[in-house]
Amino acid sequence: MFLPGGVLTLLVILVPLALALYISLLDLDQYSIREWVGADFIGFANYVEAVRDSHLVHAIGLSVGYSALVTVGCLPIGLAAAVATQDRFKGRGLVRSVLLVPYVLPAFVVGSTWRIIFQPDGVANEVLGTSGLWLNGPRSFWALVIVQLWAGWPLVYLLAAAGLQSLDATVHEAAALDGAGWWAKLRHVILPQLRGPVSLALVISFLHNVNSFTLPFVLFGVPSPYDVEVLPVLTYVESFQNFEFGLSVAMAVVSLILVAIPMAVYLRAVRLDTGLGRR
Amino acid sequence: MNRRQLAALAGALLLGSTLTACGSDDDTASGDNSGVTLTMLMGVNNIYPEQQRAWFTEVSDKFKAETGASVRFETFASANDELTKIQTSVVAGQGPDIYALGTTFTPTAYATGAFVELTKDDWDKVGGRDRFLPATLGISGPDKEHEVGIPFASRPFVMAYNKDLLTAAGIDKPADSWDGLRDQAKQLTKDGAYGLAVGYADGFDPWKFIWAMTTQAGTPVVKDGKASLDGPNTKAAYQAYLGWLATDKVVDPAAVGWKNAQAIAAFGEGKAAYLPMVSASSKVSLDKSKVAGKYAYAVMPTIPPGATSLPSGGVAATSILSGDNVVVAKYSKHKDLALALLKQLTSEESQTSYYKTFGELPTNQAAATALGSDPALAAIVESAGKSLNTPFTGGWGQVQLALTNVVVQSIPDLSAGKVDDGKLAGLLGQAQSTAQEALDKAK
Amino acid sequence: MRRSEEVARLLPGPLRAVVLTVLLLVVLGPLAYMALASVSSDLAVARGALWPDGFHIDNYAKIWSTTNLGRGLVNSVLVAGAVAVVSAFVALLSAYVLVRYAFRGRIAVLRALLALQSIPGTLLLLPVFVLFASAATALGVTIIGTRWAVLITYLTFALPFSTWVMVTYLRELPPELDEAARVDGASPWRVLTRVIAPLSWPGLVVSGVFAFLLGWNDVLFASVLTNPDTRTAAVELQIFGASQEGGALPVYGQLMAAALVCAVPVVALYLVFQRYLVAGLTTGGVR
Repeated sequence: MFLPGGVLTLLVILVPLALALYISLLDLDQYSIREWVGADFIGFANYVEAVRDSHLVHAIGLSVGYSALVTVGCLPIGLAAAVATQDRFKGRGLVRSVLLVPYVLPAFVVGSTWRIIFQPDGVANEVLGTSGLWLNGPRSFWALVIVQLWAGWPLVYLLAAAGLQSLDATVHEAAALDGAGWWAKLRHVILPQLRGPVSLALVISFLHNVNSFTLPFVLFGVPSPYDVEVLPVLTYVESFQNFEFGLSVAMAVVSLILVAIPMAVYLRAVRLDTGLGRR
Repeated sequence: MNRRQLAALAGALLLGSTLTACGSDDDTASGDNSGVTLTMLMGVNNIYPEQQRAWFTEVSDKFKAETGASVRFETFASANDELTKIQTSVVAGQGPDIYALGTTFTPTAYATGAFVELTKDDWDKVGGRDRFLPATLGISGPDKEHEVGIPFASRPFVMAYNKDLLTAAGIDKPADSWDGLRDQAKQLTKDGAYGLAVGYADGFDPWKFIWAMTTQAGTPVVKDGKASLDGPNTKAAYQAYLGWLATDKVVDPAAVGWKNAQAIAAFGEGKAAYLPMVSASSKVSLDKSKVAGKYAYAVMPTIPPGATSLPSGGVAATSILSGDNVVVAKYSKHKDLALALLKQLTSEESQTSYYKTFGELPTNQAAATALGSDPALAAIVESAGKSLNTPFTGGWGQVQLALTNVVVQSIPDLSAGKVDDGKLAGLLGQAQSTAQEALDKAK
Repeated sequence: MRRSEEVARLLPGPLRAVVLTVLLLVVLGPLAYMALASVSSDLAVARGALWPDGFHIDNYAKIWSTTNLGRGLVNSVLVAGAVAVVSAFVALLSAYVLVRYAFRGRIAVLRALLALQSIPGTLLLLPVFVLFASAATALGVTIIGTRWAVLITYLTFALPFSTWVMVTYLRELPPELDEAARVDGASPWRVLTRVIAPLSWPGLVVSGVFAFLLGWNDVLFASVLTNPDTRTAAVELQIFGASQEGGALPVYGQLMAAALVCAVPVVALYLVFQRYLVAGLTTGGVR
């Protein structure tokens, strides 16, 4: 009865996806885009070119590396924030709200702001007492990590906090009966309970970073410095600067495979029942 | 389910493309055009935003009085925006009727095959091909028979220099060789001022320098469909250009992060003696700056780095053939009206007033001749005559990007005060293969 | 009551104070700079000054004439608002079916919901565009450049997540609820609107808010699918930023002011619904 809605939903995504797979097999560029249906079919040539002659491999390494770093970095910060805001204290509501703000800010706003902060003459150098470049060269990688970390950690916090709130009072009671200190209680009783929501947050965070386009695009511009030429930006440049549409889509398809791996791990871990089978 | 949907879709798509192919109903500029709106896409003018808006209204009003049709202007903010807009309209078969493009994008637009190739008849509707300065037609098409671009504005590049600083250093006139310019810049770098102001982080400036130097050396980066980005002259050009900041120390180290605008600002503050690679539109900002009345324009050097006279085979180009070309989309249902609008925009009167408002030189021959006598513009007019067009190939956009990318990737070294020979050679090798690949794919 | 609160304490007071202070500094530092820069002169920002050299509040007045931000905000509200409402509703329908009706491939659909969230936007941009362009030509209507184009696109991207949130929410509702209603003779539609929907408010809010944010924050698709009349605020801001880079001395102050103006609605939305968001995610979380 409600299936039409569901099926339609899937089709609206699946058709472009199928089209993308098809385009990745075409010799589609600025010369053929006007009559794109008639572009030459060239099989896997775009994929071969992507792997052999482009920065794709480097971009994949970079994307995975920085996303992993950011994700791992989010973990302690998010957990600390969740634990610290769990206990009742004056102004807790306000603090909770403030901590969420970086995550809520549109990526474009975050990018514009940090771009100004990281200018050669900008406040970052002024405050840190450093000099030189943040938006190009080896340090740009760290600039990207810092900004994504700043904008992304509240997700872990959000889910960890949600997990904490759903904990049974009996957990606390039991820990109190054991006479455990705060660290032992946290380490052995509370945190293990958060494994579910927190791993969900980590997977989402990783996927979000791998696919993040707006932030690196706004932060570094194009052509992107080699150290931060992440996959989405590379794909975008190939399409919208070099007009290699077929090649670009082929790269994007490869990135699908990339996100498929953590996705598969996640799918295994997540509870996939719908409540029907539990009784 | 899926496959059937796809098949249906493919059918719809094929049908769609046939429909567009035969769906052009041309009207004429005469007759009743009330209610018709032409759309024109143009670069946004950041120096004169208000004047640009006023100009839009003025043009539309005038066009309405003459033809009954009105004009709606859309603007793009950056080259990136511009390319995206061209492309999306090409795919969609809908969008603006008229596009004002930077000259170097004309080949890209031509390559899509989505813009009207101008016949003799079409040119006549614009007021005749011979109303334009011959030099400005140099990048309208691959050859005279296949032109798509109607020259609208001319923006030759020159360099500005601070007369006071030069006099104080005992320099009587700007150098005519790049080595000479470097030496003068060294002399001028003192007391908190630098010899040169250069926007190393600009998206366009860097390749223009490299293009000029290599063309002057007789080994242009692209010749007859072959790229030569890894030759010794290209490397020498990069070394000279990067060396100004890295090793010669004649540019403010902060310039690694500058765009063209910041370079103009630094010069306007009196903090640099030379400001190479600017157009007449900088006059507006500079006349309001601290150096107002103290600066002049000169053509940029035409003797390549490492030489004292023009090498054989070298071309003494002072600038790329730069400005705006206007193209009309094939899908436009109002082609004749579009041409009528362009006739209005390229008339002597409109072109003169456009120059007065925005500082962009006319492409209209009569208007240009009338301006030629203005001494403040002498160098700019001279540069216009010595401009050379960039190669007309659909791959040029990528070549341009590859040239700029070498500078982007060299910025960290630059800021560390060195030009690493091996790294530069590596970057040039990569740029060469990217550029050659793009040229090979050009059809 | 007091005792249970005492028992539930996680951190010693001083430690908590230290942790919170550090976190707040890290979060508020850049935010404060943003606010300060928005009332600074452009030169002060360019120099890297922390404190404004004056109080240039007029930056906030100027942005409305230097950009079309006003129109962009209206477009954003319309598009993102519609996406939020429609996607929450459709997600509720789909989730209800997934949770309450046993059919083959249900688990596959659930998998797909999660997997679809990870498809990179850059992959779909070109196909979506080509599809809209061609379909529009075939049907003789205009899609690209209208608000419908972005609306449909965002809806598509929002639905997998929204549906997933609703699934995780609905499966916690005891089936006895709607069974009881059905025994009373209520149609499935009635069960859904009268029994399920009122009980799943937090889930609906979470789906809606996330869908809204998606529509509000996107630059990639909107930059290609809109025209000057239908541009969203995010695109206006992006264009404003880009044009600053290419032209005269960047008006950093106004840029930051405009960025703040674009950020305020979503931040406000988040804060208003914060309780729901956390609660909704609690139910939606995995065990």
